[in-house]
Amino acid sequence: MKSTTQKSLLSLVVALTAAVVMFLAPTPGSGQDAPAKGGPPGGKGGVAPGGAKAGGGKGAVKGGAFGPDGPYYQAPENIGGPPARTPDGKPDMTGYWTPRMNRAIFEIQGKQGAIVDPPDGMLPYTPAALAKKNDLKKNHMFDETEAHCFQSGVPHSAYQQFGYQIQQTPSFVVLMPEYAHSYRVVPTDGRKHIPADVKLFMGDPVGHWEGDTLVVETTNQNGKVWLDMEANFTTNAIHVVERFTMVDKNQINYEAIITDPTIYTRPWKIAGNLGRHDDPNYELMEFACHEGNIDLQHYPESEGGTAKAKAK
Amino acid sequence: MKQRILFSTLPAALVAAAVLLAPLPSAGQAKAKAAKATKAAPAPKGPDISGIWQVFATSTASSVEPHSPALGIQAGFGVITDPADGKIPYRPEARAKQQDNFKNRAKLDPLNKCYMPGVPRVMYLPFPIQILQTPKTVVLLSEYAHTTQNIFLTGQHLDGLELWMGDSRGRWEGNTLVVDVTQNNPDTWFDASGNHHSEALHVVERFTRSGPDTLQFEATFDDPKTYTRPWTMRLTLMRHQDPNYRLLEYDCNAYMEDEGGAK
Repeated sequence: MKSTTQKSLLSLVVALTAAVVMFLAPTPGSGQDAPAKGGPPGGKGGVAPGGAKAGGGKGAVKGGAFGPDGPYYQAPENIGGPPARTPDGKPDMTGYWTPRMNRAIFEIQGKQGAIVDPPDGMLPYTPAALAKKNDLKKNHMFDETEAHCFQSGVPHSAYQQFGYQIQQTPSFVVLMPEYAHSYRVVPTDGRKHIPADVKLFMGDPVGHWEGDTLVVETTNQNGKVWLDMEANFTTNAIHVVERFTMVDKNQINYEAIITDPTIYTRPWKIAGNLGRHDDPNYELMEFACHEGNIDLQHYPESEGGTAKAKAK
Repeated sequence: MKQRILFSTLPAALVAAAVLLAPLPSAGQAKAKAAKATKAAPAPKGPDISGIWQVFATSTASSVEPHSPALGIQAGFGVITDPADGKIPYRPEARAKQQDNFKNRAKLDPLNKCYMPGVPRVMYLPFPIQILQTPKTVVLLSEYAHTTQNIFLTGQHLDGLELWMGDSRGRWEGNTLVVDVTQNNPDTWFDASGNHHSEALHVVERFTRSGPDTLQFEATFDDPKTYTRPWTMRLTLMRHQDPNYRLLEYDCNAYMEDEGGAK
């Protein structure tokens, strides 16, 4: 399978190069030694230009517009006039979007996270849940779920850094993250959730329109994903309500309220926005995450792989 | 080993380079764009082929050729309409490779490593497919390993790439969506019997709504490195009748890890 492995790695590099192309789009600023934070095996790591403001309505960040405290990715501030409408009168979100949620992709909480409630920006863990998170962080970082090419789950996929394509039809809004060719099909036809026994990485989203806001309620997640790269885990009791509101043709305001009484003392909320990709010819590329990552079997455990050291 | 590590650090380096190269937009450009009035989005072109579809002839996933049953292989008449004998017109050495693939299918079938199935195997796996249409794209979503085939109705083929699902460019010819698929990597199979192709493969797919609940799928395969002449398959997909039916998940790679990881 050697040739396959090489091709897989090539595919991954190609996909990541596409991500680079995304970053090549005009940005409000440039020229920054972006702080490198180690990506997981599989090469999901990487850094991007900072912008002038943090997402999520937070104030200016310390360290300057493009300093190490700046947001992970700031899509162009391109005011596009009022949103176009689909034939059935809804705001048309069809296109390619880049999440601007500060650095939630690395750590959802804290000063570089995307949490706007509680006001301190911290996850309202129960003591037992906090102990579990600390143990995961200290002893089980190899379990970081995107490093294994698992789908992101919700809300993680909404701020996953490679962005996503949105497809909108009268019955469905489909979010297609480039990462691991994942997708979420959100029905807006009034249907109910699937039976609670069915648990999925991406859960069961059910949407409806409240005026011009798409409201998506996601249940049925399997609790096998993390919210970030800092061991902030989830359980299969997680319940998420997201709101997507187009403020102009090129920006969608995003917020999500997350409830899980098994690990949090209260609901919490993240906020940020999505910027439309500037290049009219932009297209989603294939992101063959697992195909490249399967090569982990050849990495020794000392380098984050799964191969046992050979006995001498 | 070193090479692999270099591969994984390369993207980060490219990103850093991209940061330095990022151009600066002027404020004037942003204002000019803001002044443009937006217009209503057009409706998708062509007949409606959206919905959740699945192939009824499940033996197609075992082999696209006429074939006997075997372990994990459901017997079937095949789906090849040209040549008339229903067999893939392999070059002799390519037929030998297929036979070797079949013998060693438990080890060699790329699906046993949870790789993306490629085109058009994704169409007739025993997993439903959802098709969505918008003005610029037709998207095909498979429940199998959340695989997508993004059919662009705009733009040119990419060049110099090898992709698991290829690069799909579509156009409407009357009531038929014609999709040209290039940039296929040579590592996918057409079925569980080891029917294969090279990176020279060029697939032309034709989707035609043949009835209220049926979708005809036809694909022509051209690969001079592997076949002596082009060949064609045709099959029918049936619409799922429950209006609340939805795609679930088969996250193959995650379950493989549950069972002890890649072998």
